[in-house]
Amino acid sequence: MRFLELNSADLDEVLKRYAEEEAEAREVRRRYADWDYIRKQPPRIRAALEYYVESGDIRRACLIAGMDLEDFRELLRRANMPVVV
Amino acid sequence: MRATVKLEDLEEAREIRRRYANWDYIRKQPPRIRVALEYYVETGDLYVASRIAGVTIEEFNELRIKAGIPNVC
Amino acid sequence: MSAREPEFAIADTCFLIDWARYRYRDVLFKLFKTVFVPETILREVKSENTIAWIASNLAKGHLTLYTETADVVSEATSIVEASKRSPHLISVELPEAVCLAVGRRRGYVVLTENRGLILFSSISSDYRDVAIWRALEVIAMASLKELLEIECSDLEARFKEYEEETLISS
Repeated sequence: MRFLELNSADLDEVLKRYAEEEAEAREVRRRYADWDYIRKQPPRIRAALEYYVESGDIRRACLIAGMDLEDFRELLRRANMPVVV
Repeated sequence: MRATVKLEDLEEAREIRRRYANWDYIRKQPPRIRVALEYYVETGDLYVASRIAGVTIEEFNELRIKAGIPNVC
Repeated sequence: MSAREPEFAIADTCFLIDWARYRYRDVLFKLFKTVFVPETILREVKSENTIAWIASNLAKGHLTLYTETADVVSEATSIVEASKRSPHLISVELPEAVCLAVGRRRGYVVLTENRGLILFSSISSDYRDVAIWRALEVIAMASLKELLEIECSDLEARFKEYEEETLISS
Protein backbone atom coordinates (compact mmCIF):
# COMPACT_ATOMS: atom_id res chain seq x y z
CA MET A 1 0.00 0.00 0.00
CA ARG A 2 1.38 3.34 -1.01
CA PHE A 3 0.53 5.19 2.13
CA LEU A 4 1.21 8.96 2.25
CA GLU A 5 2.30 9.03 -1.36
CA LEU A 6 1.05 12.60 -1.76
CA ASN A 7 3.90 15.04 -2.26
CA SER A 8 4.78 16.87 0.91
CA ALA A 9 3.11 20.14 -0.16
CA ASP A 10 -0.22 18.39 -0.81
CA LEU A 11 0.08 16.43 2.42
CA ASP A 12 0.80 19.59 4.40
CA GLU A 13 -2.26 21.22 2.83
CA VAL A 14 -4.52 18.30 3.72
CA LEU A 15 -3.19 18.04 7.26
CA LYS A 16 -3.50 21.78 7.77
CA ARG A 17 -7.13 21.71 6.64
CA TYR A 18 -7.77 18.70 8.85
CA ALA A 19 -6.20 20.44 11.86
CA GLU A 20 -8.45 23.47 11.31
CA GLU A 21 -11.56 21.32 11.01
CA GLU A 22 -10.56 19.33 14.07
CA ALA A 23 -10.03 22.50 16.08
CA GLU A 24 -13.50 23.68 15.11
CA ALA A 25 -15.02 20.30 15.91
CA ARG A 26 -13.27 20.27 19.28
CA GLU A 27 -14.72 23.68 20.11
CA VAL A 28 -18.20 22.44 19.25
CA ARG A 29 -17.79 19.36 21.46
CA ARG A 30 -16.43 21.49 24.33
CA ARG A 31 -19.28 23.95 24.04
CA TYR A 32 -22.11 21.42 23.84
CA ALA A 33 -20.80 18.94 26.40
CA ASP A 34 -22.73 18.65 29.64
CA TRP A 35 -19.78 19.15 31.97
CA ASP A 36 -21.89 18.61 35.10
CA TYR A 37 -22.82 15.19 33.82
CA ILE A 38 -19.23 14.40 32.82
CA ARG A 39 -17.82 15.43 36.19
CA LYS A 40 -20.24 13.11 38.01
CA GLN A 41 -19.07 10.01 36.15
CA PRO A 42 -16.76 7.34 37.58
CA PRO A 43 -13.10 8.10 36.83
CA ARG A 44 -12.74 5.79 33.85
CA ILE A 45 -15.89 7.03 32.14
CA ARG A 46 -15.02 10.65 32.87
CA ALA A 47 -11.54 10.17 31.41
CA ALA A 48 -13.04 8.59 28.29
CA LEU A 49 -15.53 11.42 27.83
CA GLU A 50 -12.87 14.06 28.32
CA TYR A 51 -10.63 12.23 25.88
CA TYR A 52 -13.43 12.15 23.35
CA VAL A 53 -14.11 15.89 23.73
CA GLU A 54 -10.48 16.65 22.99
CA SER A 55 -9.79 14.12 20.27
CA GLY A 56 -13.05 13.07 18.61
CA ASP A 57 -11.62 9.54 18.56
CA ILE A 58 -14.63 7.46 19.51
CA ARG A 59 -12.89 4.09 19.17
CA ARG A 60 -10.09 4.89 21.57
CA ALA A 61 -12.53 6.58 23.93
CA CYS A 62 -14.54 3.33 24.05
CA LEU A 63 -11.39 1.42 24.99
CA ILE A 64 -10.64 3.89 27.76
CA ALA A 65 -14.20 3.57 29.04
CA GLY A 66 -14.13 -0.22 28.71
CA MET A 67 -17.42 -0.05 26.81
CA ASP A 68 -18.62 -1.19 23.43
CA LEU A 69 -19.22 1.39 20.73
CA GLU A 70 -22.97 1.55 20.90
CA ASP A 71 -23.06 1.90 24.68
CA PHE A 72 -20.42 4.61 24.50
CA ARG A 73 -22.41 6.42 21.84
CA GLU A 74 -25.38 6.37 24.21
CA LEU A 75 -23.14 7.86 26.89
CA LEU A 76 -22.15 10.63 24.49
CA ARG A 77 -25.81 11.41 23.96
CA ARG A 78 -26.36 11.67 27.70
CA ALA A 79 -23.34 13.96 27.88
CA ASN A 80 -24.99 16.04 25.14
CA MET A 81 -22.13 15.49 22.77
CA PRO A 82 -22.95 15.74 19.09
CA VAL A 83 -21.38 13.72 16.31
CA VAL A 84 -19.83 16.76 14.70
CA VAL A 85 -20.44 16.90 10.96
CA MET B 1 -30.90 -33.22 -12.70
CA ARG B 2 -30.91 -30.04 -10.67
CA ALA B 3 -32.70 -28.73 -7.60
CA THR B 4 -35.07 -25.88 -8.31
CA VAL B 5 -37.00 -23.53 -6.10
CA LYS B 6 -39.95 -21.50 -7.22
CA LEU B 7 -41.08 -18.23 -5.68
CA GLU B 8 -44.32 -19.92 -4.62
CA ASP B 9 -42.25 -22.51 -2.71
CA LEU B 10 -40.48 -19.72 -0.80
CA GLU B 11 -43.78 -18.10 0.11
CA GLU B 12 -45.25 -21.43 1.19
CA ALA B 13 -42.16 -22.14 3.32
CA ARG B 14 -42.50 -18.73 5.00
CA GLU B 15 -46.16 -19.42 5.77
CA ILE B 16 -45.29 -22.77 7.31
CA ARG B 17 -42.57 -21.23 9.49
CA ARG B 18 -44.93 -18.46 10.62
CA ARG B 19 -47.70 -20.92 11.45
CA TYR B 20 -45.59 -23.39 13.42
CA ALA B 21 -43.38 -20.92 15.25
CA ASN B 22 -43.89 -20.72 19.00
CA TRP B 23 -44.46 -16.98 19.18
CA ASP B 24 -44.74 -16.98 22.99
CA TYR B 25 -41.28 -18.45 23.21
CA ILE B 26 -39.95 -16.04 20.59
CA ARG B 27 -41.38 -12.96 22.32
CA LYS B 28 -39.73 -13.93 25.61
CA GLN B 29 -36.24 -14.02 24.16
CA PRO B 30 -33.61 -11.28 24.64
CA PRO B 31 -33.89 -8.64 21.88
CA ARG B 32 -31.12 -9.89 19.64
CA ILE B 33 -32.28 -13.50 19.74
CA ARG B 34 -35.90 -12.48 19.23
CA VAL B 35 -35.05 -10.32 16.23
CA ALA B 36 -32.94 -13.13 14.75
CA LEU B 37 -35.73 -15.69 15.18
CA GLU B 38 -38.22 -13.29 13.55
CA TYR B 39 -35.74 -12.79 10.73
CA TYR B 40 -35.43 -16.55 10.34
CA VAL B 41 -39.20 -17.03 10.22
CA GLU B 42 -39.39 -14.50 7.39
CA THR B 43 -36.44 -15.67 5.35
CA GLY B 44 -35.33 -19.18 6.35
CA ASP B 45 -31.75 -17.89 6.23
CA LEU B 46 -29.99 -19.70 9.03
CA TYR B 47 -26.56 -18.20 8.48
CA VAL B 48 -27.59 -14.56 8.56
CA ALA B 49 -29.98 -15.24 11.43
CA SER B 50 -27.09 -16.69 13.44
CA ARG B 51 -25.03 -13.56 12.72
CA ILE B 52 -27.86 -11.34 13.90
CA ALA B 53 -28.16 -13.42 17.06
CA GLY B 54 -24.40 -13.36 17.56
CA VAL B 55 -24.21 -17.12 17.97
CA THR B 56 -22.88 -20.01 15.91
CA ILE B 57 -25.08 -21.66 13.30
CA GLU B 58 -25.34 -24.72 15.48
CA GLU B 59 -26.40 -22.67 18.51
CA PHE B 60 -28.95 -20.83 16.42
CA ASN B 61 -30.29 -24.10 15.08
CA GLU B 62 -30.90 -25.16 18.69
CA LEU B 63 -32.82 -21.93 19.24
CA ARG B 64 -34.81 -22.56 16.06
CA ILE B 65 -35.79 -25.99 17.33
CA LYS B 66 -36.78 -24.64 20.75
CA ALA B 67 -38.85 -21.98 19.00
CA GLY B 68 -40.66 -24.69 17.07
CA ILE B 69 -39.72 -23.22 13.70
CA PRO B 70 -39.46 -25.93 11.10
CA ASN B 71 -36.49 -26.03 8.78
CA VAL B 72 -38.48 -25.72 5.58
CA CYS B 73 -36.76 -25.14 2.25
CA MET C 1 -19.02 12.18 -5.48
CA SER C 2 -18.36 10.21 -8.67
CA ALA C 3 -20.12 10.96 -11.95
CA ARG C 4 -21.46 7.43 -12.21
CA GLU C 5 -24.40 6.67 -9.94
CA PRO C 6 -23.24 4.45 -7.09
CA GLU C 7 -25.25 1.25 -6.82
CA PHE C 8 -24.00 -0.16 -3.58
CA ALA C 9 -22.72 1.05 -0.26
CA ILE C 10 -21.08 -0.50 2.79
CA ALA C 11 -21.83 0.87 6.23
CA ASP C 12 -19.81 0.97 9.43
CA THR C 13 -21.04 0.97 13.02
CA CYS C 14 -20.66 4.69 13.65
CA PHE C 15 -22.93 5.43 10.74
CA LEU C 16 -25.55 2.76 11.42
CA ILE C 17 -26.07 3.35 15.14
CA ASP C 18 -26.92 7.01 14.52
CA TRP C 19 -28.67 6.63 11.18
CA ALA C 20 -31.06 4.01 12.62
CA ARG C 21 -32.48 6.75 14.90
CA TYR C 22 -33.30 9.14 12.06
CA ARG C 23 -36.94 9.42 11.10
CA TYR C 24 -36.09 9.30 7.39
CA ARG C 25 -33.63 6.43 7.76
CA ASP C 26 -35.27 4.39 5.00
CA VAL C 27 -34.39 7.02 2.40
CA LEU C 28 -31.00 5.29 2.39
CA PHE C 29 -32.57 2.41 0.49
CA LYS C 30 -33.77 4.69 -2.27
CA LEU C 31 -30.18 5.72 -2.93
CA PHE C 32 -28.63 2.26 -3.18
CA LYS C 33 -29.69 -1.12 -4.53
CA THR C 34 -28.45 -2.58 -1.28
CA VAL C 35 -26.23 -1.48 1.59
CA PHE C 36 -23.72 -4.07 2.80
CA VAL C 37 -23.13 -4.60 6.50
CA PRO C 38 -19.92 -6.46 7.36
CA GLU C 39 -20.20 -9.18 9.98
CA THR C 40 -17.69 -7.33 12.18
CA ILE C 41 -20.04 -4.34 12.14
CA LEU C 42 -23.14 -6.42 12.87
CA ARG C 43 -21.40 -7.88 15.93
CA GLU C 44 -20.96 -4.40 17.37
CA VAL C 45 -24.61 -3.42 17.16
CA LYS C 46 -26.39 -3.93 20.48
CA SER C 47 -29.48 -1.79 20.83
CA GLU C 48 -32.86 -3.32 20.13
CA ASN C 49 -33.99 -0.50 17.87
CA THR C 50 -30.92 -0.70 15.67
CA ILE C 51 -30.73 -4.47 15.46
CA ALA C 52 -34.45 -4.71 14.70
CA TRP C 53 -34.16 -2.14 11.90
CA ILE C 54 -31.12 -3.94 10.49
CA ALA C 55 -32.77 -7.37 10.65
CA SER C 56 -36.00 -6.25 9.01
CA ASN C 57 -34.05 -4.63 6.19
CA LEU C 58 -31.83 -7.67 5.80
CA ALA C 59 -35.04 -9.62 5.30
CA LYS C 60 -36.20 -7.15 2.64
CA GLY C 61 -32.85 -7.14 0.86
CA HIS C 62 -32.28 -3.43 1.49
CA LEU C 63 -29.34 -4.46 3.63
CA THR C 64 -27.07 -7.40 2.86
CA LEU C 65 -24.65 -9.15 5.16
CA TYR C 66 -21.05 -8.97 3.97
CA THR C 67 -18.83 -11.84 5.06
CA GLU C 68 -15.23 -10.68 5.18
CA THR C 69 -12.74 -12.88 3.34
CA ALA C 70 -9.15 -13.37 4.47
CA ASP C 71 -7.76 -11.05 1.80
CA VAL C 72 -10.16 -8.25 2.82
CA VAL C 73 -9.18 -8.66 6.48
CA SER C 74 -5.52 -8.64 5.49
CA GLU C 75 -5.95 -5.39 3.56
CA ALA C 76 -7.96 -3.91 6.44
CA THR C 77 -5.17 -4.84 8.86
CA SER C 78 -2.69 -3.03 6.61
CA ILE C 79 -4.92 0.05 6.74
CA VAL C 80 -5.00 -0.11 10.54
CA GLU C 81 -1.21 -0.42 10.71
CA ALA C 82 -0.69 2.44 8.27
CA SER C 83 -3.03 4.70 10.23
CA LYS C 84 -1.04 4.06 13.40
CA ARG C 85 2.24 5.09 11.79
CA SER C 86 1.32 8.73 11.55
CA PRO C 87 0.94 10.82 14.72
CA HIS C 88 -1.34 13.23 12.87
CA LEU C 89 -4.14 10.77 12.43
CA ILE C 90 -6.95 9.40 14.52
CA SER C 91 -6.18 5.72 14.14
CA VAL C 92 -8.48 3.56 12.12
CA GLU C 93 -9.71 0.33 13.67
CA LEU C 94 -10.48 -2.95 11.96
CA PRO C 95 -14.26 -2.70 11.47
CA GLU C 96 -14.14 0.57 9.56
CA ALA C 97 -10.93 -0.48 7.81
CA VAL C 98 -12.87 -3.46 6.43
CA CYS C 99 -15.41 -1.03 4.98
CA LEU C 100 -12.67 1.01 3.33
CA ALA C 101 -10.99 -2.08 1.89
CA VAL C 102 -14.28 -3.31 0.44
CA GLY C 103 -15.09 0.18 -0.83
CA ARG C 104 -11.84 0.21 -2.76
CA ARG C 105 -12.17 -3.35 -4.08
CA ARG C 106 -15.81 -3.22 -5.09
CA GLY C 107 -16.40 0.47 -5.77
CA TYR C 108 -18.94 0.75 -2.96
CA VAL C 109 -19.68 4.02 -1.24
CA VAL C 110 -18.40 3.82 2.33
CA LEU C 111 -20.87 5.13 4.91
CA THR C 112 -19.12 6.27 8.07
CA GLU C 113 -18.94 9.03 10.67
CA ASN C 114 -15.40 8.08 11.62
CA ARG C 115 -13.16 11.09 11.14
CA GLY C 116 -10.03 8.97 11.26
CA LEU C 117 -11.22 6.96 8.29
CA ILE C 118 -12.18 10.06 6.34
CA LEU C 119 -8.80 11.67 6.87
CA PHE C 120 -6.85 8.48 6.20
CA SER C 121 -8.58 7.95 2.87
CA SER C 122 -7.90 11.55 1.81
CA ILE C 123 -4.15 11.24 2.34
CA SER C 124 -3.61 7.74 1.03
CA SER C 125 -3.08 7.33 -2.71
CA ASP C 126 -4.75 3.94 -2.76
CA TYR C 127 -7.93 5.14 -1.10
CA ARG C 128 -8.38 8.71 -2.27
CA ASP C 129 -10.85 7.68 -4.93
CA VAL C 130 -13.08 5.72 -2.59
CA ALA C 131 -16.37 7.59 -2.15
CA ILE C 132 -16.93 8.22 1.55
CA TRP C 133 -20.23 9.62 2.74
CA ARG C 134 -21.33 10.68 6.15
CA ALA C 135 -24.98 11.21 7.07
CA LEU C 136 -24.47 14.75 5.75
CA GLU C 137 -23.74 13.51 2.24
CA VAL C 138 -26.56 10.95 2.34
CA ILE C 139 -29.06 13.64 3.31
CA ALA C 140 -27.66 16.05 0.71
CA MET C 141 -27.86 13.42 -2.04
CA ALA C 142 -31.37 12.40 -1.03
CA SER C 143 -32.51 16.01 -1.18
CA LEU C 144 -30.76 16.55 -4.55
CA LYS C 145 -32.68 13.57 -5.90
CA GLU C 146 -35.87 14.93 -4.31
CA LEU C 147 -36.28 11.84 -2.18
CA LEU C 148 -36.80 14.01 0.87
CA GLU C 149 -39.51 16.63 0.79
CA ILE C 150 -37.34 19.64 1.22
CA GLU C 151 -36.47 22.93 -0.37
CA CYS C 152 -32.79 23.58 -0.95
CA SER C 153 -32.87 26.45 1.49
CA ASP C 154 -34.01 24.04 4.19
CA LEU C 155 -31.03 21.73 3.84
CA GLU C 156 -29.33 23.22 6.87
CA ALA C 157 -32.52 22.71 8.86
CA ARG C 158 -32.57 19.10 7.70
CA PHE C 159 -28.98 18.57 8.92
CA LYS C 160 -29.89 20.16 12.24
CA GLU C 161 -32.91 17.88 12.51
CA TYR C 162 -30.68 14.84 11.92
CA GLU C 163 -28.20 16.01 14.54
CA GLU C 164 -30.94 16.54 17.11
CA GLU C 165 -32.68 13.22 16.45
CA THR C 166 -29.45 11.27 16.78
CA LEU C 167 -28.45 13.18 19.90
CA ILE C 168 -31.52 12.22 21.90
CA SER C 169 -30.71 9.63 24.52
CA SER C 170 -32.85 6.49 24.52
